Amino acid sequence: MSKLYCDNDKYGYQCDFPISEAYNSAVKDLVRRSYEKFGGKWQDFVFKNEFDFVKKENMLEIESNLLDFGYKFEPSAMSSSRERPNAYKASDLYDEDFSFEHEEAPTSRVDKNGLELCGVGDNVVSHDSNFRGTALYVRTIDKVLECLEGVAERTIAIVDDSGGTLTAPVLQYFSGVLCAGGTARSHLAILTREYNIPCLMNVKLKGIKDGDQLELEVTAQSKTAEDYDAGRDVTANVWRLHSD
Amino acid sequence: MKDIKIDYAQLLETNNLIQQNADETYWLCATRTVQESKIFPVSAYILFSYLNCFYRFPELLKKIEAVMPAEDVGDRARIQGLKIVAWTIPCFYLLGREALINWGVIKPTDAIEDVIYVMDFWKRFQLSWHRNNGNITNKQAGHRAQILPEYTLQVMHADAFECKSGDSLHAAAQAFMAAVAQYGFLVSCESRLTIHNHGPYKISDNREMIVRDFRELAQYDFPWLDTVGKEIPFNNLSVALILEDCHISLLDDWGSFESEPEMRAEHIVGVGLYTSDNLTEGRVPVAMDSRESLENMFNELTEKLKVATNDLWKEMAGWTRDQQLDAGALVYFGCAKELAHIAGVYEMEDWMMIDNRAERFRPLLNDEYGNLFLGELVGFISCPSQQMNKYTMMQHTDQPARALSYIPYSVLKDEPFTRTVGAIKGGVTSLSAKEDLYRTSEGTFPLKEYNALSKNFTPKVCSDEFRFLCADWIKYHHYTPKANALFSIEQELSRNLKGKGASLTRDEIEGLRKK
Repeated sequence: MSKLYCDNDKYGYQCDFPISEAYNSAVKDLVRRSYEKFGGKWQDFVFKNEFDFVKKENMLEIESNLLDFGYKFEPSAMSSSRERPNAYKASDLYDEDFSFEHEEAPTSRVDKNGLELCGVGDNVVSHDSNFRGTALYVRTIDKVLECLEGVAERTIAIVDDSGGTLTAPVLQYFSGVLCAGGTARSHLAILTREYNIPCLMNVKLKGIKDGDQLELEVTAQSKTAEDYDAGRDVTANVWRLHSD
Repeated sequence: MKDIKIDYAQLLETNNLIQQNADETYWLCATRTVQESKIFPVSAYILFSYLNCFYRFPELLKKIEAVMPAEDVGDRARIQGLKIVAWTIPCFYLLGREALINWGVIKPTDAIEDVIYVMDFWKRFQLSWHRNNGNITNKQAGHRAQILPEYTLQVMHADAFECKSGDSLHAAAQAFMAAVAQYGFLVSCESRLTIHNHGPYKISDNREMIVRDFRELAQYDFPWLDTVGKEIPFNNLSVALILEDCHISLLDDWGSFESEPEMRAEHIVGVGLYTSDNLTEGRVPVAMDSRESLENMFNELTEKLKVATNDLWKEMAGWTRDQQLDAGALVYFGCAKELAHIAGVYEMEDWMMIDNRAERFRPLLNDEYGNLFLGELVGFISCPSQQMNKYTMMQHTDQPARALSYIPYSVLKDEPFTRTVGAIKGGVTSLSAKEDLYRTSEGTFPLKEYNALSKNFTPKVCSDEFRFLCADWIKYHHYTPKANALFSIEQELSRNLKGKGASLTRDEIEGLRKK
C-alpha cells in the first residue's frame, strides 16, 4: 500500500476527537488506495488524476460506513435532523417540560427574600438594577414563529445557542435573555447589547421551567476579554422568585 | 501582477506571513468561540468555505490583478470601506489547505505557487488598506484600525450631530444599529461579515470616533437578497460614532471592538450616516443636512430592516440544509468578492458557486464532524499537521503546535512540489438563481453594466493627480492649492466643511462644532 506524506509525520499522529479521527483516517485511506491504484508520481496525481479516484460517492461511502455501525450524529442545525432523522440523534427541542439541568449550576434553598439560586452566567453589560421577568424557552423555529404572534411583557428568553439568527425576528421583544452557550463577545451578546436587553451568556441552569419568575443579577460586573483570557470566573446569579 | 519566484527570500517572507496569520487565527477564534445556530450548520459551512477558498482564490485573485494590482484595489477599498478581508483572505485559504493536508489529499509541498501568490496578494492589499498607519494588520498596529485619511475624518467629525442618551436622535441611531446588526447577522448566515468597524480616531481629550461599516444590505451578490433586499435603499451604510469617556481599547482583524469602560448607550454623543461603494467619491452623506432628516432616515431604515429581517428569516428557516450550507459557505468564500467588483471583473459563476473540487467533500460535512474538526483546526490546534517538536512554544498557549503549515524550504533543493491547483472547471449551487440586478450608488444595474461602470470609474483621490498625496505630503503642503483640491473632494458634500481647505486642524474642527 502507498504511504502518504502525512504517514511519516514525526510529531502529529491523530486528532483529539474520535469522530474527527475516524473521518480523517477514512479519507486518508481512500487517498492511499487511490494513489496506489493510480501508480504514477504524486505530482501527476494531485490536482489532476485524483479527481477520477477521490469523488463524492467515496465520501458518501465513508459516511455510510460509520452510520452502518449505528452511529448517530449530534445535530446543530434543525434542518439536519429534520431531513435525516436516521443519521442524527433525536433532540429534546420540542419537549414541553424541558429545563436545562447543567451539573455545574450552583443552587441554594429559598432565602428569606424568597430567592432560590438556580444558576449563573456571564453578564454581558452591567445594568443599574437587577431584572425580573418570566422564563420562556425559545429553542426552535416553531417557537420563534409563535413569538411573532406576540411576546408577553418582561419575558426572559432562554436559548441554546450563541448565534443571532434563530431569534432574529423576535429578539427585540424580549426583556431579558439567558443563553446556554457562547461568551459575552458572541453574536447574541453583541445584539442584546445593541438592543440594551439584559443578558447572561454561557449560563449553567438547573430546574427552571417555562413560566417561572426569575431575577437576573445584571448589576454584576460584566465579564471582560481579560477575564476570559485569564480564565477568571466572573459570574452573575440567576434566582427563581418565590412569593410565599 | 507580480512575477512569482520560488526562492529562499520569497519562502521566508511567505512563511512569515503564514505565521502572522497562524498566531492571530488562534487568538481570534479562541476568544470568540464557535457561533452555533439552530438555523445554520455553521461549522460545517465554514469548513466548506475553506475548501472553496483553497480551490478558487488563486485564479480569482489573479483575475482581479489582470485588471488592477492588489495595492490599487486596496486604495479603492480604503476609500469606500470593505468587508473584513484582513484575516479572511489568507486564513480561509490556508485553513482549507490545512484541512486537505490532514486528509492526505494534498501535501504541504503542493500548490506552492498559489500559496505564495495568495499571501503576496494579501500583503500588498493589506499594506495599501493600512497605508495611513503603516501596518499590515490591526494586530500589528496593537489591535487598532486607523484606516481613514484626515480629509475623510475631518468631514465625519465636523458634520456629526451631537446627541445624548434619551434624546430622539440618540434613540433612533441606537435602534438603527441594533436593527442593522440583527439583519446583518442574518444576511451573512450567522457570520459577522456584514459588520466591519474601524478606528478609533481621536476627537478630543475624552472623545474617540469609530466608523461602523454595514456592507451588502440590499439586492446585490447574494441570491437571497433578490427579494427582501429590493426594499433596502442603500447597499452599504456607515455610521460615524463619537464616544465620550469610552476608550476603544481593541479593534481586531475581524472588525470587532472592545472598550474601557464597556461601551454603553450613554457614551454615544455624536453620530453621522454615510453610504459608499466602488462608484462613489469616498463617503457620501445620507440625510446629513439636518438633525431631523437624519433621525427620520434612521427611523425609516430601521423599519425597513425589521421587515426585511422577518421576511428573510422566514425564507432561510425554510431552506434545505444544503441551501443553508451553500449560503453560509458562499458568504465566507465571498469575503473577497468586493475586490472583483472594484476591478469590474465580478462574475456570479466565480463567486456564488461551490467549486466542484470542494463539492466532492460535502457528504463529510455533517454537524458533528463540522463542529469537532473545525474546533480542532482553529481552536484546539490539535490536528496532526499542526503538531511540532516538543521544544516548540506556540504564541498564546505554549503548545508545541503551529496553526498553519509552512511551505517546506526543501522544495528549493530537491523535494518535488506542485505549483497550482489549476483552473476552475465549474461549480454548483443549491440556491435559487440570482436575478441579474445589482444595487449601487448610481442605480440598480444588470451585472454587465455594473462591471462596465466599475471598470470606467476612478475615484478622484485615486487618480494620477492625487493618489500619492499622502498624510506625510499633506503635513508639509497643506497650504497649497493642490492640497485644497484634494480636501475639497471629500468636502464637496459636507454640511460644515465645504470649501474650508486643507489647513484646518482637528481642534479647529472641534471648535467649529461647538459653535
